Amino acid sequence: MGEQNGAPAASAAGESGEDAYIRAEVEELEASPDYDVALESLGQWELAWRRFRKHRMAIVGSALFLTMVIAGVVGPFIMPFDLYKIPYPDIIDSFGRGPMLTHPFGETARLQWDVLMLVVNGTRLSLLIGVLASLIATIIGTIVGGISGYFGGWLDTILMRIVDSLLTLPLLFIVLVFTKFLGSGNWLSVTIIFGLFGWLGIARLVRAVLLSLREEDYVDAARAAGVGNLRIIFRHLMPNALSPIIVATTLSVAGVIIGEAFVSFLGFGVGPETPTLGNILSGSQDTIINGNWWWAFFPGAAIVVIVLGINFMGDGLRDALDPRAKI
Amino acid sequence: MTTDVQDGTQALRAGVGDVLLDVRDLRTHFKVMDGLVKAVDGVSFSVRKGGRLALVGESGCGKSVTALSIMRLIETPPGIFAGGEIMFNGRDLLRLSDAEIRKVRGGQIAMIFQEPMTSLNPVLTVGAQLTEAILLHQETDKKGARRIAQKALEDVGVADARRRLDQYPHELSGGMRQRVMIAMALSCNPALIIADEPTTALDVTIQRQILELIKDIQTRTGAALLLITHDLGVVAETVDDVAVMYAGRVVETGSVDEVLLRPRHPYTRGLLESIPSQGKRGKRLSVIKGMVPNPFRMPPGCKFQPRCPYQWDDCGTGEPALISLDESISSRCFLHDPRFRDRLAAYDSPMGDPA
Repeated sequence: MGEQNGAPAASAAGESGEDAYIRAEVEELEASPDYDVALESLGQWELAWRRFRKHRMAIVGSALFLTMVIAGVVGPFIMPFDLYKIPYPDIIDSFGRGPMLTHPFGETARLQWDVLMLVVNGTRLSLLIGVLASLIATIIGTIVGGISGYFGGWLDTILMRIVDSLLTLPLLFIVLVFTKFLGSGNWLSVTIIFGLFGWLGIARLVRAVLLSLREEDYVDAARAAGVGNLRIIFRHLMPNALSPIIVATTLSVAGVIIGEAFVSFLGFGVGPETPTLGNILSGSQDTIINGNWWWAFFPGAAIVVIVLGINFMGDGLRDALDPRAKI
Repeated sequence: MTTDVQDGTQALRAGVGDVLLDVRDLRTHFKVMDGLVKAVDGVSFSVRKGGRLALVGESGCGKSVTALSIMRLIETPPGIFAGGEIMFNGRDLLRLSDAEIRKVRGGQIAMIFQEPMTSLNPVLTVGAQLTEAILLHQETDKKGARRIAQKALEDVGVADARRRLDQYPHELSGGMRQRVMIAMALSCNPALIIADEPTTALDVTIQRQILELIKDIQTRTGAALLLITHDLGVVAETVDDVAVMYAGRVVETGSVDEVLLRPRHPYTRGLLESIPSQGKRGKRLSVIKGMVPNPFRMPPGCKFQPRCPYQWDDCGTGEPALISLDESISSRCFLHDPRFRDRLAAYDSPMGDPA
């Protein structure tokens, strides 16, 4: 430090190399878009969002999923073809025609439905079933798991043994039996069945989280303030357990969509009058050997895109919502 | 000051008059895998209205369990209330229904916890946590509760209280959080505040502020204070009366002046001698030899006897009673039993005169 006249002289001209370097660093830091944010304390959700944004697979997955959601929500309204009107094709071809300009996904065999029209309608219903069933499952699972984990003891033992025994039943056969019972073919009953049997995993997850959360000091503090048990579970502890619940619910949407496609394909799920991605496939299986590949390919691809999108998104959420993860 | 102390000791001794909290022969046990832990085994003390009592002892002596028992925050099982009663305003808290004890918690008895860093829920705003207790115990709407919460924060010296209400706990410092906990405790005007080691987790400088604050709030609101601590310095500054606990029992109780200046029980003496001070500069600090007894293998007779420098042959056979020495102090030691008067004479008299 050869500086004789002290600190005030450290102006731009008299600056030593080290000072200039530090000043450049500071300026660069101040110029970065995150600088203002870093000064404020970041909330849990803002941090999660920043991590999510940097997760490439999550962004790709979300984009895929969002595209399909938009297709399912908007698609049926902008289609020139109506699901409830039997098509009048200009050329009759009982094997259906392949992709062309007026029918980019081709036509089905026999009645020559527009496959794109079926796919957007099927996407809408499949997504609706997936989301609704997952919400039902999450609500039941959260209540059962929350009570089980918080209270523990005999209540926990009973509830978890119920979960264990329900898990031993093969879900597919239950769905097959129940759809026959509850009026086969109705999409709402399929949704309810998937919801009523899909909560087991979420209940176990929530229970495990609450088992550790209930030991927190703030639970004692809330009890000491006179707060009741149910309020502690659902107002104080559930927000703390929200991250794993969100991830599990998201991934469960994909699970339900696949499950619904599976049972509908087998003819036990939603009836053919309301297309889902599964039962569109179901109709296509007879004519696929006649070269009509597009009837099976496009709804199948839609399932793959939705499920992949959700799974990527779920993985991204899992990483983003993990408080131990670095930004 | 002196008269104040006299008043306190009178009520403590007599156990009558305006006694607010009267713990009688409380026994809180825990059934665990290896057997029964008698964490609290026959503890008695009382706090008068507006009085200040400290429960002092080493880790594991049962002082926190006593506090949690008063709040009925012991989980049963594994906890068992094996006996005794906790009279608060004429009602036995151990016999209240769950709904009734919830009214008492927070409303009439408030508790300040040891760890301000973890005693606030990280996902709820300070305001949400403060107003929750107010809405539970007072007749008011959300707006009114918010006003009361803001007032409570201002009372505990939180600057910019209105803005703090919308902040999350992680945005506050440790001292600030403990102030929020205190605000929460006093927001419903409780008759008794239980402070379980309120300063242990804080910096020394903040400790002093928080202690002053608790004392200040306590005198201003007229609430009684039950302070749980292992820090005798805190005791000297904060309370009027003190009960020293060892192995689940009260071994010595009395006014602060008597207990800290002229301790009678060998354990209290040991505790006081192990505090470093100016006068002991350059000397080796004395310690209480041995260890706190294993809860599964409690010594027979006096629980302190294996570590006691004054032990006598028959200390191991029967357990001494809490012997009242005069109106301001009592001790659980055979040295003070009138039947063994000659023993005390065998030691040069720092043990105090049993007469």
